[in-house]
Amino acid sequence: MMRNDFGTWGLRLFTYLAMTFLFFPIFITLLVSVNPSEFILPPTGFTLEWFRAAWTSDTFVRAMGVSLLLGLTATIVANGIALLTVLAFVRYDFPGKASINLLVMSPLLIPTTIFSLALYVFFARIGFGAGVLPLVIGHTLHVLPFAVRILMASMQNFDLSLEEAARNVGAGPFRTLRSITLPVIRTGLVSSLVLCFVLSWNDFPISVFLAPPGWLPLPVELFSYIKFQYDAVGAALASSLIIISALAIVIIDRTSGLRQVVQR
Amino acid sequence: MKSRVVSLLAPGVGLLVVFVVLPLLWVVRASFNRAVDGAYMVSAFTFENYVRFLGSPWYLVNTLWFSVRIAIVATVVAVLLGYPVALYIARTRGLQKSVLMTMVLSPLLIGLVTLVYGWIVIFRGGGLLNSLMIAMHVYDEPIRYMWDLKGVVILLVYIGMPYIVLSLLDSIERINPALVEAARNVGASPWKAFWKVTFPLTMPGLHAGLVIVFSLNFAAFAIPLMVGANDTQMIGLVIYREALLNNDLPFASALSVIMVAANALILTGMGFVFGKLILKRLEATR
Repeated sequence: MMRNDFGTWGLRLFTYLAMTFLFFPIFITLLVSVNPSEFILPPTGFTLEWFRAAWTSDTFVRAMGVSLLLGLTATIVANGIALLTVLAFVRYDFPGKASINLLVMSPLLIPTTIFSLALYVFFARIGFGAGVLPLVIGHTLHVLPFAVRILMASMQNFDLSLEEAARNVGAGPFRTLRSITLPVIRTGLVSSLVLCFVLSWNDFPISVFLAPPGWLPLPVELFSYIKFQYDAVGAALASSLIIISALAIVIIDRTSGLRQVVQR
Repeated sequence: MKSRVVSLLAPGVGLLVVFVVLPLLWVVRASFNRAVDGAYMVSAFTFENYVRFLGSPWYLVNTLWFSVRIAIVATVVAVLLGYPVALYIARTRGLQKSVLMTMVLSPLLIGLVTLVYGWIVIFRGGGLLNSLMIAMHVYDEPIRYMWDLKGVVILLVYIGMPYIVLSLLDSIERINPALVEAARNVGASPWKAFWKVTFPLTMPGLHAGLVIVFSLNFAAFAIPLMVGANDTQMIGLVIYREALLNNDLPFASALSVIMVAANALILTGMGFVFGKLILKRLEATR
């Protein structure tokens, strides 16, 4: 099987071509963002001018603030809820476990279009439609299944008798959580926090449905920018997002393994 | 113990019931309501939203059938690209494997808008591809790729391929190498060993990948919104426009119900075909 026969060479060539297809747009964006002469390729030099313009633009700085706040809120709330849910799942047996698991995973199974529309129609009933609250809730629920899955995996091998021992020597539930449970799942938690944040930070479909004017997250703002303006400042902003995502990808890969966390 | 379980589950289950289950039920109910200009909607029990879509040949051809066709084309191309990649990655080990996996999966975590930007640089009117093709005299006038159907298909393939590779890899790695070895030992050519042993065993993975990618493509709205044209009216995009631009929430709701039903119907058909195929293979090998 592992012989370097003709078939393997063909597959290798094909794979490298496919990887080029996957990475070409990313590579080009990075290239354009440091090229002093706008869009003239090959690059004529190196500049951080476009980055400076992107990171000092009022619109983008404001949008970064929105994205940061949104991402942190959604990440913290989702991981808190996920932690409680996972504790219930690994510690106890209860009727309806499978249905509750399905419910928790449901935001992943429902198409984003329908998930966002449902929140939009629901909140429109109360008088919001798009708004900060629906936006935060949409992001939180969108990342929740990912957090549950990672934390669940990191607790699967957890020895429950450790918690019991701590309780027996008089530790309260919070002390037990802090000194026994959290250290054990630390790697999983780091991975989950980073993944949830980057999913929210980069999200476009949910935000475009639910973000109210004045509260547009970075991807939505970037989209409306490149729709009407076509310059290297857009490339610099896109590159910034690529670099942040790449950092997140490395951290997630080191902690949980990329493959386990992105599965649908 | 019971109260412990309830208090641990309450926040998650509560949030999901209130903000996922109830809104979904409300969408179904709202699909029978009537839209009014400038206001929310009027409570009613009418089928007019469904009739407006299902009774209109224009919508059926240009939205429903169009979405099905685009979803099928993009899914098939993603499989054609993803299958060989999955086969190759399954043969690699160690560093090479983790680098390839990271490359395949990164587009799923790098945001859509960022990726779209790169494609626009390459594909727009005066972009890289057009300049190159015109310089090489392949064609003389720039071809419209972006803000066109071509751009939508390219992006759907791009986003779908990682899922196809992932699902296929799961089932390829489960194949016992001794089976392929055995086929080769009794004189099967590599091609025949692949076709008779490996390929049938990847059917479950292929099926799983098709289900995910077809559903994503069929419901897509962000990609047609970003790189589509006026005539790329995929059903997800029509839902978005009716809800946010026309404020016709009942019609958008009815379209969602139709979309989910059509998707379920197609997936059931697909499941039936795959069931038959796998069964036939099993009988043939007995």
